[in-house]
Amino acid sequence: MANDREILREVWEGKLPISFQLDPDEVVELQQPDQFYLMVPRLSYFPLVTDKVRKHFLRYVANDKQDREMWLEYDGQPIKWHYPIGVLFDLLITSDDQLPWNITVHFDKFPENQIYRFNNKETVESYFMACLKEADVLKHRGQIASNMQKKDHNQLWLGLQNDKFEQFWAVNRKLMEVSSEQEHFKYIPFRCYIDDGYRQKLIKPVAEDGRRKTLQDLINEMFPGRNVNIKTHGMIPPLETPLQWMSEHLSYPDNFLHLCVQM
Amino acid sequence: MATAEVNWREDILSKLQERNRFQTDCFQDLIAQHNKIFDAVNALKHENLQLSIQNEKLRLDGDRAGGGDSRLHEKIQCLEQKLLTQQEELTELHRRKGENSQQIIDLNAKLQEKEKLIVMKDISLAENAAKITSLQAEITLFDRNNKELKLLNEALRDEHQALHLAFTCLEDKLRKLQDENRQLVERLMNYKTKDADRMNEENENFLKKRFAKMQKEIEEACRDTRGVSPEDLQEGYGPSCQSTIPTKACVKFDAHDGEVNAVKWSPLDRLVATGGADRKVKLWEISKGTCESKGMLVGSNAGVMAVDFDSTGTLILGASNDYASRVWTVADQRLRVSNSSRKRTDTLPRSRKRTRAVSNKCPPPPLGHPVARSFIAAVSGPAAA
Repeated sequence: MANDREILREVWEGKLPISFQLDPDEVVELQQPDQFYLMVPRLSYFPLVTDKVRKHFLRYVANDKQDREMWLEYDGQPIKWHYPIGVLFDLLITSDDQLPWNITVHFDKFPENQIYRFNNKETVESYFMACLKEADVLKHRGQIASNMQKKDHNQLWLGLQNDKFEQFWAVNRKLMEVSSEQEHFKYIPFRCYIDDGYRQKLIKPVAEDGRRKTLQDLINEMFPGRNVNIKTHGMIPPLETPLQWMSEHLSYPDNFLHLCVQM
Repeated sequence: MATAEVNWREDILSKLQERNRFQTDCFQDLIAQHNKIFDAVNALKHENLQLSIQNEKLRLDGDRAGGGDSRLHEKIQCLEQKLLTQQEELTELHRRKGENSQQIIDLNAKLQEKEKLIVMKDISLAENAAKITSLQAEITLFDRNNKELKLLNEALRDEHQALHLAFTCLEDKLRKLQDENRQLVERLMNYKTKDADRMNEENENFLKKRFAKMQKEIEEACRDTRGVSPEDLQEGYGPSCQSTIPTKACVKFDAHDGEVNAVKWSPLDRLVATGGADRKVKLWEISKGTCESKGMLVGSNAGVMAVDFDSTGTLILGASNDYASRVWTVADQRLRVSNSSRKRTDTLPRSRKRTRAVSNKCPPPPLGHPVARSFIAAVSGPAAA
């Protein structure tokens, strides 16, 4: 049961300072635009928070490029918008000294073969809902999410979009409940980010002998014989943390545990 | 177990708190502040833009107002210009007015003159009317006179008629007398010819006697046997051709302006006719030692080459170098007949002119009263016959 609101609150409150700057090659104005600073929630997605950024930089680029999609780049790599911001930060930034996070904004030359296109927020929403449903399938065979009404989906989405903790968790807590006959989820929905992608595996929160599995068990199952560090939400959780609890409390809004693997 | 659970939970919580403290809290206010300032700047920029737009608008308005000013200015200028033109027109009108008044004065003066003239004309008209009345009176007077004169004239004409009748009567008488006279003259001429014949006979007789006497002397001389040399004969004592040569001119006179081509004695009187190169025939009366010009007969177009009288001595014939012969009467020295041997078809312009003058066969009859005319007819009648 996700009832430890203190933890949930702390996780929800996590925000990152980001400094956006326009690619100097795309500036057509005489004056270089100022950098745009923004505090973004770790749990959100970039397309949901960059409206202001886009608006700020729009008048500095050529007229024919203003209608194009804005994309972000850090350290020469296009940022995958479909990852939650906190995950991206944990993956790309290794030390806290690099705060605020400097991200370059582009309007031109969209890298189509590296990141997905997103036309509007609906694209993001559908992706988010798809993840949510996938997680529900793993946890409850998809019964809860599919039984939900449309307005519940909307409430989830709007709660995330508007950074409304109460609004979000009023619905999300249903997804985090365990069914009456079972004490735990069927499988733990998680993603282990390694190299350029992520890996998933069906892992049950409890062992066959009824023992509750911990993070250590997950690492052992995922990377047998290897000593790896797991990072999530900007911290390294203790290895003895139970998976069921982690899934309930440290999952991102899409109900997945996003674990960054550090070799 | 519970403590372990508490441990990892506390651990996570503290880590999350630390994370938030480190990553979020220290930036939250800063960025919030920054965003606030950024927004403020943007708002100010926007405001600035609005203000500048407003300013521009105001300035434009001001310009427009200035434009209005300029328009006013233009209007003023326009009005000033109009004023100027009006003033010019005014001065022009003043000048014209002055001219007009001058003209009026002139015209008044002229009018006065004209009036004077009219007065004068009136006076003269009155005078003329007076004159006309006087003249009319005169005319009536003259008319009366005229009537009287007409009456007089009538009387005179009647008188003249009577006189004319008397005159014709007298003319008849005169003609009769002239006929008589001619008969008498003829008779006289007969007597004179008879007289001349007798004289000729006497002369002949005398000459015969003398010739006979001479022959007798010649025979006597021939009986003298002494020789006579031809030289002696040349001395002028030739027996057969005794003659006298006039040695002294009795009368000498300049007859013509040029050569004298012909001379002829009149058969009756001591009258000589001479013809000269000056195209004239002149008549001279030669008496003892004196010469008196009796007349000059003109009409010839070239030098007169020969002259002759008729037997009665009343007509003179002159032949001249213009291929014509003319006849004059001696008494009144008029040309009677002119006859050209040349035809009118002469081609020479000069001679034609000459012949035309010559061929004037019927010269105009001499002016004068009927008596003279009838006299000429009487004279020329026998000549033509």
